[in-house]
Amino acid sequence: MTEQSLLVRIGDHVHGFLRDLHDRGLPVPVPKQRVFLQAIEAVGPRDATHLYWIGVATLTASHEDLEVYSPTFEHWFGEVTARRIPDEEFPDDEASAPRGKGGEAPLTAAFGGEAGLKAGSSERERRPVFGPASEDDRAVLSLLRRELPGAVPTIRSRRRRPARRGPWIDVARICRESRRSHGEIVTLRRRNRPRRQRRVLLLIDVSGSMKQHSAHYLRFAHAVVGRLDRVEVFTFGTRLTRVTEPLRARHVDAAVGSLSNVVLDAEGGTRIGASLQEFLANARHVTVARGALTIVLSDGLERGDCRPMQAAVRRLSLLSHRLLWWSPLACDPAYRPVTRGMSAVLGSVDALAGVRDLRTAYEQVQTLIRE
Amino acid sequence: MLVDQDTLDRRLGAEGYLADEGLLTALHLAGTLGLPLLLEGEPGVGKTEVANVLARILGRELIRLQCYEGLDASQALYEWDYPKQLLSLRAAEVEGRGVVDLYREEFLLQRPLLRSLRAASGAVLLIDEIDRADSEFEAFLLEFLGDFQITIPEIGTITAASVPFVVLTSNRTRELHDALKRRCLYHWIPFPDAERERAIIRAQAPGLDERSAARLVAAVHRIRGLALLKRPGIAESVSWARGVQTLTREGSSWLAAMRRSAGLLVKHEEDLALLGRHTAEVFGD
Repeated sequence: MTEQSLLVRIGDHVHGFLRDLHDRGLPVPVPKQRVFLQAIEAVGPRDATHLYWIGVATLTASHEDLEVYSPTFEHWFGEVTARRIPDEEFPDDEASAPRGKGGEAPLTAAFGGEAGLKAGSSERERRPVFGPASEDDRAVLSLLRRELPGAVPTIRSRRRRPARRGPWIDVARICRESRRSHGEIVTLRRRNRPRRQRRVLLLIDVSGSMKQHSAHYLRFAHAVVGRLDRVEVFTFGTRLTRVTEPLRARHVDAAVGSLSNVVLDAEGGTRIGASLQEFLANARHVTVARGALTIVLSDGLERGDCRPMQAAVRRLSLLSHRLLWWSPLACDPAYRPVTRGMSAVLGSVDALAGVRDLRTAYEQVQTLIRE
Repeated sequence: MLVDQDTLDRRLGAEGYLADEGLLTALHLAGTLGLPLLLEGEPGVGKTEVANVLARILGRELIRLQCYEGLDASQALYEWDYPKQLLSLRAAEVEGRGVVDLYREEFLLQRPLLRSLRAASGAVLLIDEIDRADSEFEAFLLEFLGDFQITIPEIGTITAASVPFVVLTSNRTRELHDALKRRCLYHWIPFPDAERERAIIRAQAPGLDERSAARLVAAVHRIRGLALLKRPGIAESVSWARGVQTLTREGSSWLAAMRRSAGLLVKHEEDLALLGRHTAEVFGD
């Protein structure tokens, strides 16, 4: 074999590897591929392991990419000695919360069209369907959208904005304006740090015991996502699901209906403690909760050991600006939080209130405004 | 960078920074190809430190830009010195001179990014915790990282005299834009294996013998295996080793010293309680 044909074959091999990465679900943009080839030329890999690390630096863009990259590399270039298997540094939330599903759900699911057609199907096939909002609900939702911004606590922004009054002189603006008046300062301009809304974090219980209320809660969440600046919504039953993106769909029924395909643990069992622990184990989620107005919508009926739930709620309360617990049971004036779970977390919660549908949620929002 | 990978390894080692092969390759490539390097990893694995050490071994100036929420172009790129402009206008008026040119070099306040372009022999630019800045700020960075130039409307485009060595770090509290990632080399710094961590601790805490370092590292690895709120990084294990060293020098026994200085390793009350429940298995030999 001549040297020329060998070079061609090596080139084909590398390009085949790059194409295979794409086929296996790691599409590398062309500029990065070019950098990879440049790097090979500039450095001249010593062995397969060295080539492996060159590829890691140039072709991957996150820690998770290694899950595709490493096996593909070994397939094309053989075993490498120092291969690193990605450990569970950050539990992958993308896997459990599909992105950008909003509006893509079949309309039949959105409007519950197929709900009655498959009678008596097995447990596993059963998909909970969040039905459409009633006329009355819509009216309350539009009221909610109007009132919500006033209910969120605010915080001073770090950024200074031009303002009518404020402790800082806006020298840049004064200087710019003074050029029009030959260097004469006519008016003093000022800057201030405007107030902005705190982040809002909603944690919604979709377990079996909350069956009647989950759809209402999700509609409330849709209004919150659509109206406020920085919101994150998670549902939990037996596992944790991030539903902020699906809820961004414009129409409330389409958004909430599409969740039937995303929230797979709805109307199932309850693992409040474990789900909240899962939330807190992820550093990116913890940042969401820090300094936020956190609202947990749940009846707090935990099965089994209550200690994980108690510990998680305590941590959540330390992280959040305020932690509110909205429970459908608390709507009853005779309700006393005496169940083991609720009585354990009561000390960490800033306020416990009764919310079972949109109207009661609206009442609570008004209470927040009055505070 | 005009050194090969082995020289780089030796020089980093001489400064007490022990990198694995992946990080070495990434650093070497960043220097050779002149591309920015994005480093991610848990807090305390040495992301910021690597830039410090690089500046020392390359003999370049370290310019650091600490990101925070609300960081904007006037804090990162450049700003005009408005009070100075006003004063010089006044002075010109009083002295009856003509109008001075207000957009000259002397009125320009150079912020870190511009400073790194102007540095004569190239600089090491550390953009620390980029995930803390707003996502809009990443857009400012795109022109800078792509072409190593900054456009100032009043002066023109400033291009780098010699390309700075750029290190970006992120703790992954949010996802960075793809446009930014595409312009960077990427490396994830993992927790080191036991052997490397022993070497790191011995390099950072001089006077610690091999056996003690092994005991400490074994304990740290067992602690990382517990379900902690925050797993200790290398920075924590180094300061713990120093703490234990100090206490044993004062006459405390090994086990007691390890237990008493546990606050240097874990920083949550819940974690300390958890550690207390597992004392025997964690600190035992």
